[in-house]
Amino acid sequence: MRALVMLAVGLGAPGILPAVAVARRNPVAVFLAPLIGAGMAAVAAAIELGAGGSVVADYMVVAVAVNLAVIAWWLAWLRAAQPRAIATRARSWEWPVLTLAVVLGCLAVPLMALRAPTIGWDANSIWLTHAFMVYGGHHELLTGLKNVAYQFSNPDYPPLVPAVGALAFKFFGLGNLHLATDMTVLLSACALGAVGTGIAATGIGPGIAAAGRGGRQPARIAAVVAAGAMCIAGFAVSGLSEVEGYTDLLWAAAAAGAVIWGLVLPHSAQALGVAWICAAVASLTKNEGLITALVILVLIALRYRPLSLPGPTARTWAERAAFVVLPALPGLAWAGLIRQIGVHDAFFRSASAEAPLTRAEATIAGMAAHLAVAPVALAVLAAGCWFARADRQRAGLANPAWLWITCLGSLVTLFATYVIGGFEIHWWLGTSVSRTTIFVQVLLYAELAIWLVMAVEGAFTCSDWHSSQRPSSAGERVPEAPGSPREPLPEWHHGLPTQ
Amino acid sequence: MGERSGRVGKRIGCAAIVAAAGVALALSVHHDVQLTTSVTTPQWIAEQTVELQQEECIYHAIRAQVPKGAAVYVASPDLYATQRLAELSTLWAVPQANIANARWRLSLVPARGHCSGLALEVRRT
Repeated sequence: MRALVMLAVGLGAPGILPAVAVARRNPVAVFLAPLIGAGMAAVAAAIELGAGGSVVADYMVVAVAVNLAVIAWWLAWLRAAQPRAIATRARSWEWPVLTLAVVLGCLAVPLMALRAPTIGWDANSIWLTHAFMVYGGHHELLTGLKNVAYQFSNPDYPPLVPAVGALAFKFFGLGNLHLATDMTVLLSACALGAVGTGIAATGIGPGIAAAGRGGRQPARIAAVVAAGAMCIAGFAVSGLSEVEGYTDLLWAAAAAGAVIWGLVLPHSAQALGVAWICAAVASLTKNEGLITALVILVLIALRYRPLSLPGPTARTWAERAAFVVLPALPGLAWAGLIRQIGVHDAFFRSASAEAPLTRAEATIAGMAAHLAVAPVALAVLAAGCWFARADRQRAGLANPAWLWITCLGSLVTLFATYVIGGFEIHWWLGTSVSRTTIFVQVLLYAELAIWLVMAVEGAFTCSDWHSSQRPSSAGERVPEAPGSPREPLPEWHHGLPTQ
Repeated sequence: MGERSGRVGKRIGCAAIVAAAGVALALSVHHDVQLTTSVTTPQWIAEQTVELQQEECIYHAIRAQVPKGAAVYVASPDLYATQRLAELSTLWAVPQANIANARWRLSLVPARGHCSGLALEVRRT
């Protein structure tokens, strides 16, 4: 209960204004607000380490600054916007409310595991230790991270989870150590909520809304159901580790959210903003999250500013760089700060005595054991591209290649890390590969959910659309539906159809 | 005829996609429900509550038996207990990597009645 209060009041309240500014009335705002709050707490912890002060004071400064900036931006936007454009937006609440209810209801199922106050190994050795250090203030944090006796706690890990744990302890005291674990699990649920609402948006988005006739309602229902199932599936792939306070699901789900909103849903400022926030959260949660977020942000930059774009090259490249650096700035700043104080990660400190081939074989076997969903996802991708490609294009979704490139990029990075790293490979894989592959697993389940929605749409609309399908060279075009009335786009999806 | 068979083919293909994706998602949901059920049994909750109480007991024992700010060396028979001692010493004592720099040596030993079967042992180095 205390953790829920902390999530809603301590993190959600300071994050609600920026969340609504980005997501408008999309239900993702509910999950984005605590994630933004957690991101601000991480920035506060970085300030505590670099400049001093306590996490509470720094958090208040960051929260006030961010909210003032959002208010200023909003006032400027209201002044510039046409009054008619603001007034004529359709106000549809049914689907956002239903989506929110289903996603929250489904997230409640795995969260019941919090009744058992379990604290896992890493949750103790890494996250609770770091939360104590952040709680203790600048001196405690600086000396703690530099203390060789704490080397086991991976002192270079980013500060989001410890900062949130420390804030919770500041609010409620150190009487219940499980509070920090509760916060981690609830934040993971929020990140999965962002993924789920993104999947729901594939079926409630402008493409399907515009399709009209038979396909709309079944696809919408399928999207909401798939969104709920996806939220539970996310916890399923992470197993017991997630409810024990491990942070792998948090960064993986946040990164998956960035992929869904930035590399799957149609182009829009809203989707881009949500993707950036999710990527920033992933980058501030774990080192793997930072690397994955950078890969995703590069792909988002290339999708929104394609290499084929006409115009001044230097300016376009500057924009692409800004697309990557801006959301990754907090994570990169932490990585720079932690190296500046002389703390480095332990993975590459010593060379392994094992042959690279031995390590590679063990890594492939270890990773494959956790990717049972991959063949199904590949088969569904092939069938989807054959049977439901036009429906996917009509829904305005991106080419699935973006998602698969992200998956492959993550797997290649993981593979290289295991092969080049210094730890004994079988021990290393045994203690981590089930968690390091969570991101790819979540993404593949999300891909299944998206194709499911598209297939439902395709099955119900093929009579309407079969004869009207036009060849499309652009992978993300939303063609007009001949004879079908275009619905006004719901306001909570404002901005999505700007291709 | 060709158009009609195309429609039927598309419907069958879409149904296959829905079935494959639906089954995969449903299996995953089923797995999570089983997992959640297994960790919400009264016995499991009781065991985890005891472990948490043990951890909080050790946390308070450190604060009761070790002077604030003391340089400590943590050493227990197993790695988990050693790391837990270092973690729970944070904010109170300063763990040292080298025993020569420490004034106190902390370890967890089996004991009846203390912290659910464990007791904090504090010795001067």
